[in-house]
Amino acid sequence: MPHLPQRLRATLATAGLLLAASASAEQLTAADWAGIEQQARGQTVSWYMWGGSDRINAYVSEYLGGLARERYGITIRRVGINDTAEAVNAVLQEMEAGVDKEGSVDLIWINGENFRTLRQADAVRCGYLDALPNNRLVDWSNPAISYDFGTPVDECEVPWNRAQFVFAYDSARLTDPPRSMGALLEWIEANPGRFTYAAPPDFTGSVFVRHVFYHVAGGPERLLGEFNQEVYDEVAAETWALLNRLKPSLWRQGQTYPRDGAALGQLFANQEIDFHFSYDAAGYGTGVDAGTYPATTRSYGLADGTIGNTNYMAIPANASNAAAAMVVANLALSAEAQLEKAKPSVWGASPVIDVERLAASERASFAALPRHPSVVSSAELARASLPELLAPWVVAIEAGWREHVGSD
Amino acid sequence: MRLREHPRVFLLLAPALLVLGLLFGGGVLLGLARSFGYMPLLGLTEPNLDAYRAIFADGHFLRSLGLTFYIAFVSTVISAVLAVGIVLILRQTFLGKRAILFLFQLNITIPHLVGAVGILYLFSQSGALARLARELGMIAQPADFPILVFDAAAIGIILQYVWKEIPFIGIVALATLQAVGEDYEAVARSLGANSWQRFRYVLLPLMLPGVAVASVVVFAFTFGAYEIPALLGQHHPAALPVLAYRLYTDVDLAARPQAMALAMVITLLCAALIAMHLRLLRRNLRS
Repeated sequence: MPHLPQRLRATLATAGLLLAASASAEQLTAADWAGIEQQARGQTVSWYMWGGSDRINAYVSEYLGGLARERYGITIRRVGINDTAEAVNAVLQEMEAGVDKEGSVDLIWINGENFRTLRQADAVRCGYLDALPNNRLVDWSNPAISYDFGTPVDECEVPWNRAQFVFAYDSARLTDPPRSMGALLEWIEANPGRFTYAAPPDFTGSVFVRHVFYHVAGGPERLLGEFNQEVYDEVAAETWALLNRLKPSLWRQGQTYPRDGAALGQLFANQEIDFHFSYDAAGYGTGVDAGTYPATTRSYGLADGTIGNTNYMAIPANASNAAAAMVVANLALSAEAQLEKAKPSVWGASPVIDVERLAASERASFAALPRHPSVVSSAELARASLPELLAPWVVAIEAGWREHVGSD
Repeated sequence: MRLREHPRVFLLLAPALLVLGLLFGGGVLLGLARSFGYMPLLGLTEPNLDAYRAIFADGHFLRSLGLTFYIAFVSTVISAVLAVGIVLILRQTFLGKRAILFLFQLNITIPHLVGAVGILYLFSQSGALARLARELGMIAQPADFPILVFDAAAIGIILQYVWKEIPFIGIVALATLQAVGEDYEAVARSLGANSWQRFRYVLLPLMLPGVAVASVVVFAFTFGAYEIPALLGQHHPAALPVLAYRLYTDVDLAARPQAMALAMVITLLCAALIAMHLRLLRRNLRS
């Protein structure tokens, strides 16, 4: 087609490539990027993501949405969901119904078990990370990024944030909070009715139970790697016994559990309980500024460490607007978008890019980020960070909790 | 005449039937296929009854079924009794009747979710009533306040349903009474019936068909509703629709057929109720 204009030819070539990619997961490279951007113009990206935080929603819809429209002519349609499994279900059902190219989901905020489910069903697009210009900012030699809850990422999702679990308390009511898992468990028994956790599989409840699991196992070392039934049985039995022993000391004597992290937050804000916890330390700063939590709220990590992980953006294999989804993912990974996201007033999420790889001026902007007094410093937090377990462990622990702790 | 009108009736109903048939019927069929473990994408192509066997063998299902039935039954009975009582008062003439009638019907326009949040704000252990009790020195801390939401007796859920369904049943009963007029009661009075007898032998039989039909609707709705037990219910046992949703969002894909099987059971029970509703309705029309 020598008479075709250069741009159109690039577009057609990439369109062919993208189609081929969906069929055979062909590798995309940096050379394809211009064509991808061309093809993305005018597309609307349906981004399915947990919608429970106003500031995260605003960051995506307004900040990223604005940039995407201005620079690439792409519209971001944010679809708020309560549980990532809902988006995974939508993709699986469409593909089951034979919708292989025109799926309704273009991008999912995802990690862990849900990512594994998509990969199991071969329902996620892979092999395009080399094409994203901002991928060079990611330190793929870090196993906390190249493995998603132990599942190799294998170019099947784009990293977005780092997250680490923190506890929060009101320093006006509690002067010296317990700083290790063992001390916390003792505190709970000494202060009946003032602690609870959201029922797994809610992710904050689930990660709390994993902390107890690590504590019982004497650290995560024995639990890392492939699922081991023997080790699981031994640790699980003791963990369930411990959690059941704790029940009479929990809020409502453990007869019921809050639905999710937000319900737990209400109990904490209303002073029904003395601790909250989440993967999102910055949330305490915005919670204080919004008047939800008292100004004396403080967040902290544990001396024996808290669990950290990475969350990602994945493009379903049947996405209608895969090209635009790649452009949006690349935009979200850019230094400026990661910096904006790290601002406490915006979101306060830890950057997933390696700040050392940035230009000096960009590095300085990251270093100059202010910190809310209610938010623990990420440096302090990172000093004691625990790895996540492989997804089968997490699934087994959640099922075990439901069977042995949550059902009585 | 009737024959000639038939095509027009079908034509007029076609849009509604199309939507119902395609979206609802299609959904039920897909759900049915999945409940038999038919999910080709996951390599499950051999239909079987495993999911049904699994949920019926599971003690959680029976406890959830019991709880759901209890919530629906108690909510319906309390709503119906209170609605009849209020209607007896509302049918009389009194000053400000129109304003009171308006207030009585107002709940119908308020979404269930908003009502549930209201219940939470009022009755939780750190809600408005608990705060008032604390101001009055009746309790020292949240845990002292009686447990009215997320509770084993589902008081919060029932409160919400009663609050919402009284006006619904009430309006049906009120309409029935107004259609009947005052003649029957006047006759009974002239024959020497006292107020209890007039209620028991005249008004109640007149109201009952309408109230019964409305009650079946309320029962079917409260039986199949997800959002209220999800917001106000305790963690375990959970109402059937909540249990179905949990299975549906379980990370273990093998739980999907069970979620669908549960949804089919709920659908079947609700369908049985609708059949009952239609029979009641037909009998009323005949009499």
